[in-house]
Amino acid sequence: MNTFEFTHAPIDAAALAEPLACDAAGGFASFEGRVRNHHAGRPVTGLEYEAFEALGVTEGERIVAEAKSRHGALAARCVHRLGRLGIGEVAVWVGVAAPHRAEAFAACRAIIDEVKHRVPIWKKEHYAEGASGWVNCEHPGPVHAAPAFDYSRQRALPEVGAEGQARLGAARVLVVGAGGLGCAVLTSLAGAGVGALTIVDHDTVQPSNLHRQPLYTASDTGRPKAEAAAVRLNDYNPTLRIRAVTQRFDAECASALVAEADVVVDCTDNFASKFLVNDAAVRAGVPAVLASVYQYEGQLQVVRPDRGGSCLRCQWPEATRDGLVGNCEQAGVLGPVPAVLGQLQAMEVLKIILGLPGQLQDELLLVDLLACGQRRLAAPRNPGCRDVCVRIESVPVQSTPDDLDVDLPLAAAAAAGYRVVDIREPMECKFEPLPLSGQQSLPLGRLLDGGLRVEPDRRYLLVCAHGVRSRAAAEFLRARGHANVWSLRGGLAAQGG
Amino acid sequence: MPTLRLHYYALLREQAGRSSETVDTTAATPAALYSELAARHGFRLPAAQLRVAVNAAFSDWDRPLADGDEVVFIPPVAGG
Repeated sequence: MNTFEFTHAPIDAAALAEPLACDAAGGFASFEGRVRNHHAGRPVTGLEYEAFEALGVTEGERIVAEAKSRHGALAARCVHRLGRLGIGEVAVWVGVAAPHRAEAFAACRAIIDEVKHRVPIWKKEHYAEGASGWVNCEHPGPVHAAPAFDYSRQRALPEVGAEGQARLGAARVLVVGAGGLGCAVLTSLAGAGVGALTIVDHDTVQPSNLHRQPLYTASDTGRPKAEAAAVRLNDYNPTLRIRAVTQRFDAECASALVAEADVVVDCTDNFASKFLVNDAAVRAGVPAVLASVYQYEGQLQVVRPDRGGSCLRCQWPEATRDGLVGNCEQAGVLGPVPAVLGQLQAMEVLKIILGLPGQLQDELLLVDLLACGQRRLAAPRNPGCRDVCVRIESVPVQSTPDDLDVDLPLAAAAAAGYRVVDIREPMECKFEPLPLSGQQSLPLGRLLDGGLRVEPDRRYLLVCAHGVRSRAAAEFLRARGHANVWSLRGGLAAQGG
Repeated sequence: MPTLRLHYYALLREQAGRSSETVDTTAATPAALYSELAARHGFRLPAAQLRVAVNAAFSDWDRPLADGDEVVFIPPVAGG
């Protein structure tokens, strides 16, 4: 019996309860969460659930185990529905067997509360008047009457406009680390309307964090940072999809998380994590904005594997180890320092998403806030950086042909003779399958390794989630003489319905 | 004797007790210069763990130095 699972099939409570039966259990409590017909005053006709399944199951199992041991339950499990549900259907079921009723009730309550808080699940509500909207399960979307988040002051910039705002809304940014840098980055990106923010941090809030991490309050002490940040940001801008991943950013989850992002922001406080972020970003061809702070100064580097740029390993040898130089805990730091560096990171992220000029690449920016000085150092590709970044060779950006993008519904493109190649990671494909059959699936990393055999008499259309990776991949293949490769403009996100 | 403008960051700034200085030196390369400075300021980080930039570009440790060069020593920094 799995203690936590997702299912697309209707929930059968009796069948789920059966394996929990136990002679020592004097109490059995269960909870059913059902789809109701209204939300915040709007009639609802149905719901759609999505989850980040792999992480969801891990976190869900952890929650059930914690509740069992904390409340002394004998057996417990939880099942959550995914996909489309009608009014009255059971969306989530929790069952607990315990020696007495008090333990059974307490554990059951704890499991449903924590699942709603911690498991990455989103629901899309379909309203009776025809609209629909994604809302975070625990912190529902805006009350209908609340005024919308107004981006007019940034939309007024000629370089932003309605198109830029739409790009921000379609962008997905992964922020690794929700400390001093992360708080600044997240606040600015949420304010700018970056549509999907994923926050990864395994740490909990400590009172010593508060002076430089204003997303948290003293009452958050002990709470997972990712979760506390997600709640606060959701209050700030409820129109976004904000996902908290309370997990150490390790090699196991890195590539899946990075593959789902258009830009990665490194806000970690140790080299091991920085190298992990760097490597995963370089392998996936996703831009990464890295920063570090020390007392009164900071360093900023933007890694552009999508443009053949230099990476962290080009600058720092493999032997760069933690403990060599102090972190905030050992060396001390003044609050504005991570705030300034984090805002610089956010600015670079926005420049990338909006295609603004002046994007940092192949440079290290040193910022000294005591001397009020900035220094830009040229930091080109290091030919000795063999392990990671050499495999993605330089693509001349200036020669980007104008006809690289194809702007067609996928089915029409396939009918027009394009061979569709889905370059997303397997996990993304599973999460959101292409609305098409007969396509080829080839993750970007394998494509860059020469995994795509390009036949000269065919036309190829590369597809990813937002058209960023597919464009980089198409440029990469064009630079290798394959003129018959295109990128689907805006990716799957732009396909609408 | 060539005159160089030096800038220190992070741990080196702390150990040197200043963020920049001008020195007259016979050191022909950044490597030789760093040994000289390590002795004077008590720098404990080995050069292999640092990067050096000359005239606003990352540089090798054995490139020649010339009068008027601006040399920046950068330790790795990881705080967040």
